[in-house]
Amino acid sequence: MIRFVFADLRRLWAASLVIVLLVALATALGVAVTLQERALRLGSARAADKFDLIIGAPGSETQLVLSSVFLQPAALPLMPGEVLTKLVADPRVAWAAPIGFGDNFKGYPIVGTTTALISGTTTGFIAGEMFAHEGEAVVGSGVDLPIGAEVNPMHGTAGEGGETHADSAYHVVGKLQPTGTAWDRAILVPIQAVWHVHGLGEEQHEGEEHEDEAGEDHHDHGHIDADAPLDERFDHDVPGLPAVLVKPKTIADAYALRQAYRTEDGTRAVFPAEVLTGLYATLGDARAVLMYIAYGAQALVAAALMLIVVIHIAQRRKQIGALRAFGAPRLAVFGIVWLELLLLVAVGVGAGFGLGYGAASVLAGLFTAQSGVRLSVEFTSADAMLAVAFLAIAALMAALPAALAYRQSPVEALRG
Amino acid sequence: MLPLALSGVSISFPGLAQPVLSIDELAIPAGGRLAVTGASGSGKSTFVNLVSGLERPDSGAIRWRDTDITTLSESRRDRWRAANVGLVMQEFHLFPGLAAIDNVLLPARLARAVTAEVKARAHELLARVGLTRPSQPVETMSRGEMQRVAVARALLRRPGVIIADEPTASLDAEAGAEVGRLLIELADQEGATLIVISHDERLTERLDRRIRLATGQVVADTAEEVSP
Repeated sequence: MIRFVFADLRRLWAASLVIVLLVALATALGVAVTLQERALRLGSARAADKFDLIIGAPGSETQLVLSSVFLQPAALPLMPGEVLTKLVADPRVAWAAPIGFGDNFKGYPIVGTTTALISGTTTGFIAGEMFAHEGEAVVGSGVDLPIGAEVNPMHGTAGEGGETHADSAYHVVGKLQPTGTAWDRAILVPIQAVWHVHGLGEEQHEGEEHEDEAGEDHHDHGHIDADAPLDERFDHDVPGLPAVLVKPKTIADAYALRQAYRTEDGTRAVFPAEVLTGLYATLGDARAVLMYIAYGAQALVAAALMLIVVIHIAQRRKQIGALRAFGAPRLAVFGIVWLELLLLVAVGVGAGFGLGYGAASVLAGLFTAQSGVRLSVEFTSADAMLAVAFLAIAALMAALPAALAYRQSPVEALRG
Repeated sequence: MLPLALSGVSISFPGLAQPVLSIDELAIPAGGRLAVTGASGSGKSTFVNLVSGLERPDSGAIRWRDTDITTLSESRRDRWRAANVGLVMQEFHLFPGLAAIDNVLLPARLARAVTAEVKARAHELLARVGLTRPSQPVETMSRGEMQRVAVARALLRRPGVIIADEPTASLDAEAGAEVGRLLIELADQEGATLIVISHDERLTERLDRRIRLATGQVVADTAEEVSP
């Protein structure tokens, strides 16, 4: 029977190919949506993994997470620098590090931070070493700059009419191992340098601390003192900050700290994981809508397929009748029709999974190139269940034309 | 080798006043050679359908030796036909894309009746009908060759009866003569009863007995002419 089925499909290869393609495209649509949503969810969760607790000024929690974890450029409000001073001294805190944004170089965000954050969120260096002076920079693995390269910070981005801090420059001294996060595309510099570039710091007055770092066009220019040693004490006169990453000592400490800084005036504390969970619900809704569209497309393809097959069976009445006349059992006739259809759908579903995987991988690649967040497109056992469900439905649907062929009288078929 | 006995067989189609075929008595001994002739619409094809079990009469009995096939269910008639009847039709009903040998084996394969012995017989039959390339795809064959493949297919499972419905009608004279000769020769060698529906006189003349049908009735029978 198998041999006959294959000979038949080979003879009707063009029509078979069209059916396989139809099924493959309909399947790929659903598979790509599922894989892409999962990759986004897992990828962003992994990217936020090292970010236990973020403290910032009141405002959108989502924006705080997007800006600090995913380095999405945005004008964050500032909170007083004493918050950092207090956090550093807090016994519940393993380490706390400021995150200062605003400048860019060649499209890479320049992030002012501390050695504690770099050591705490990365696995080490591919090449070079940690910055030790104010004018030194460490780059993520996704930054296309060699050790020794010069970085001229630009305030804002070129597209937004940003301006270069012409008289300040960093030198790249180290390149980090990949982390699969947005920070792979960041240029990390000492926070004190960011303050100095923007004319903030020890000699500044209280009143200027609420300046919006990312948005202001007219601000005081300062200079990097390239050879100045690192000062990561933050015990007095810390300028305003958009965000502080906090590594609590224990889980209990994490909750206690969040409670403390959530209720305190002028600050707000968020668990990125919690904010992401909220985002995933939205992502899930979007996925659900896309999946309904995919199901609709699959139902249309299934209906079209049934039409094609029923017409095809009618056209082959004679052949089927002859098979019966020559002694093929009715069940064999049923089997041939059923098997041919199921085989086409199975190949289509298989190709669709491949196609969907390919599409999701390409999209994930584009996303990674743009954001630095590594998305790994992967199948789970749920997808196997989906494939089995597809095939089960196909098996049921194929039974209808097969039953038509089964019930067909050979005499009428041969006469007609 | 099966003897055939029809008694009181009648079949009508809805909307037609007269029965399409009505035969009171007809008996063919085992190994007999019967030719059925008649104009188009005389009931010849219905005769084939009835005696091969493709169709059931409204009344009457069709006995092949001890089996009255009118009492069998459709599935059992299918099985009986597969085991006992070798069918050869005007249209060869070979399946394109399959080699000659696979076409010969196809019905047996679908009935799960293929053994090494059956395969060997398929090759032997192809050789006996004069085809030397069992693996040749049937769509590349001449019509005469195709009908010879169909003859080999009909004989594969050593049927007790060979029923040929206009086996030469779609062939040229030479190929037709060859197929006719093969049918008679192989039926002899295999010891099968042979029923040929044909208007090809060169073929029908070579058979023991000829009946002619008109409007569903037997209007002439050489057996009765010989023994009044």
